[in-house]
Amino acid sequence: MSLRFLQCALLVTVAFPFSLGAQNIAVVAEHLYTMDAGPQGGPGMVLIRDGKIEETRQGANMQPPDGFQVIHGAYVTPGLVDADTTAGVAGAYNIPADQDQDEATDPNTADVSVRDSLNPEDKLYQFVNTYGVTTLQVTPGPANPIAGRAGIFKSAGPLSPFRTADQLIVRLNSGMVFNLGESPKQTYGASHKAPVTRMKTAEMIRDALLQAAQYQDKWDKWKREGSDLSKQPTIEAKSAALADVVTGKTPAIFNVYRADDIDTAIRIGTEFHLKYMLASVTEGYLIRDKIKQAGVPCLVGAVMQPVESMETANATYENAALLQQAGIPVAIMTGYVAYVPKSRVLLFEAAIAAANGLGLEGALRAITISPAKILGIDDRVGSLSKGKDADVVVFDGDPFEYTSHVEQVMVQGTVTYRKP
Amino acid sequence: MRKKMLLWGGLLAFSVSLAAAQSAHDENVLVLQGARILPITAPPIAQGVLVIKGGKIVAVGEAGKVQIPAGARIQDATGKVIMPGIVDSHSHIGIDGNPTVSDSQDANEGSGPIQPGLRALDAIDPADPNIRMATSGGITTANIMPGSGNVMGGQTAYVKLRGSTMEQMLIPGTLGGMKMANGTNPKGYGSRGQAPMTRMEEAALARGIYVKAQQYKDKWDAYAKAVAAKDKNAKEPDHDLGLDAVVQVLDGKRVVHNHTHRADDVMTVLRLADEFHYRVVVHHGTESCEVADELAKRHIGVSFTMIDSPGGKPETINFSISCPARLEKAGVKVAFNTDDPITNSRLLLRSAALGVRGGMSEDAAMKGLTIYPAEMLDLQSRVGSLEVGKDADFIVLSGAPLSVYTHVIETWIEGEKVFDRNNPADLRYATGGFDVVGRYPQQTGGAQ
Repeated sequence: MSLRFLQCALLVTVAFPFSLGAQNIAVVAEHLYTMDAGPQGGPGMVLIRDGKIEETRQGANMQPPDGFQVIHGAYVTPGLVDADTTAGVAGAYNIPADQDQDEATDPNTADVSVRDSLNPEDKLYQFVNTYGVTTLQVTPGPANPIAGRAGIFKSAGPLSPFRTADQLIVRLNSGMVFNLGESPKQTYGASHKAPVTRMKTAEMIRDALLQAAQYQDKWDKWKREGSDLSKQPTIEAKSAALADVVTGKTPAIFNVYRADDIDTAIRIGTEFHLKYMLASVTEGYLIRDKIKQAGVPCLVGAVMQPVESMETANATYENAALLQQAGIPVAIMTGYVAYVPKSRVLLFEAAIAAANGLGLEGALRAITISPAKILGIDDRVGSLSKGKDADVVVFDGDPFEYTSHVEQVMVQGTVTYRKP
Repeated sequence: MRKKMLLWGGLLAFSVSLAAAQSAHDENVLVLQGARILPITAPPIAQGVLVIKGGKIVAVGEAGKVQIPAGARIQDATGKVIMPGIVDSHSHIGIDGNPTVSDSQDANEGSGPIQPGLRALDAIDPADPNIRMATSGGITTANIMPGSGNVMGGQTAYVKLRGSTMEQMLIPGTLGGMKMANGTNPKGYGSRGQAPMTRMEEAALARGIYVKAQQYKDKWDAYAKAVAAKDKNAKEPDHDLGLDAVVQVLDGKRVVHNHTHRADDVMTVLRLADEFHYRVVVHHGTESCEVADELAKRHIGVSFTMIDSPGGKPETINFSISCPARLEKAGVKVAFNTDDPITNSRLLLRSAALGVRGGMSEDAAMKGLTIYPAEMLDLQSRVGSLEVGKDADFIVLSGAPLSVYTHVIETWIEGEKVFDRNNPADLRYATGGFDVVGRYPQQTGGAQ
């Protein structure tokens, strides 16, 4: 048994350096969007060594250094970051066998983690990579008021023959998802279980957070008083997970649509002094002043999907632009889709935002550096800056034009997709 | 009585002379000039002139070569692009309403899988906001259909997106088509222990209704013959609402619009159409490119739904944006549909653009928004291109039709403007937020 474990460990360690040993690559761009503080859209070059960005240079007619494989591109951007998606947990076939996003047996499933559902072999998970997404925050689905823990993963990577979620982890427990509005009501209300109303959803969340705070106090007290094993408090998985939310270690992600639900999220966030963000935020544009005042970043949900509920009836293509104009940090996300098509395409959603007020650069920001900063992973991804992961997308035209193509996608210096 | 008739006669004479006077002044002639015009069935015109009168196109051509009637209303469209109104060959606007609550969902009569007697027109709400949203995306003509939950879902309606009653929306002289479906969706009955539970049964149910309709038709034909022969014993058969409509399919008066995804399901559609000699359009056709030659040799077109990603159900798992390109190469005519609400009616231009991204020619993609769907609905003599004598259904665009940055500025149906992006109330149908216009932030990035 231990021998087999050793063999596995050996294989992993051997396979990793092998595939990580990508060549040195120079990406020469007609229009380079580094999404760092420098100028955007001019000609330039990105130098990649050992899966990291070594350097970016601005200017035309760049001569790549010796020993660098050269890739030419019309438009070059950082790998795209989807701030909130169920790709990988809500499978492409949409049959019970591949739907692992909603543990709809208990309104509080704070102790579950998407890591234990994520299937990197799922068709959609691989599909999003072909449209330039290299980093995703994978979240539980919309069913539960307290849905569980999200994680941030690469969409592909310098993979060994074993493609596992663990190899793709950027950060585990990146957020705790709370769902307000229609979905929890529909999940439980139909069978007369709580929550039947928005009041109850809010109460259940407040109650669980209160218990978690008390749980944290108990443990703090126990540690203060000498950590006597005979007096150790009982471990309670849900409260333990939520304690991290109360202490600010794990950010809360409130998935909200209607303006009054957004308001409820802000109320709870303020009451418990949470570190939190808003996701979907369909009617955010109607109370953008309140959101701005609360200082909450917004992960703006897909606007092209069908109006499947009352709470998304007022969706506007201008939501991202209106929130951004109000000075709110904005990322665009794809979220969860119940039916055909099973996943939105981040690039396409951002294209709609680009054409409806955000413009090319603004929309690009909302799917690269902005989500990276909001999620706190901008030390690794989100821009083509020295020392970051060499996650790069090469386009043959304006990234948002419908008739452009993604030509190549690179994750950590390895080409994971090449246009056939 | 006589006095009254005289009065009417006088009125009539007056209105005739008024009409004559108007035509002399040409006040009711509208001219759009300066735009790049895409007639679709003729090469693009860089500096075009479009002349409209009485809801019809009376002239289209190059600036300087088209005579502009004196007194005509002139609209400058310099820098804009004008193309025909978009024809959506598969939509559920008005019948699956907005917002999506059960009360507004009337597309699927889930009480039995064979429903030829149903008419979509009896469930379409002309006030559904989805209809105005569709005009903001440039759609002027639509085939509004029952859903795909039934093997035979009912009679579809060919409409113009204007008016406040079905009577104003329906295109005069059209019967509509017949909706059919196979594959996953009609199997929904199986979960209730009812037929169909399998694809076999779906085909058997379809075959059953056509056999029945054929017998019904034979009875009526025999009766007609007997009447013609002055047979006094000729007895009129009983009428059957549903079978009357199916006979119209067998007679070629009503086209079958068949929802189908998997290649083997597409072949089942062809097998049934071959067997009963009816006209059919393949709808969605996710894997239709796998049997493109079979479609090409039968001259059967595909009304394709351009979704964003594969899956959502197993039969769409092989979805690819390159399918329309493969169909084009095989010689199959492809129309793009919305299947609204599956894709939004504001984004049908985008579906064609993604077809080009998948390898299709721009020419075929543009025809797939206009003349090809018009042909699939037998409406090509009225709509689908900018030609003299056709309905004045057209849209004014801010730029190239297939660019994401282009907006529909105006939508016109039979010479009447039904959408104007410069009108703040209309704009919110294009962007969304039409129900909260009063609360919508003033400063917007999207209004051009």
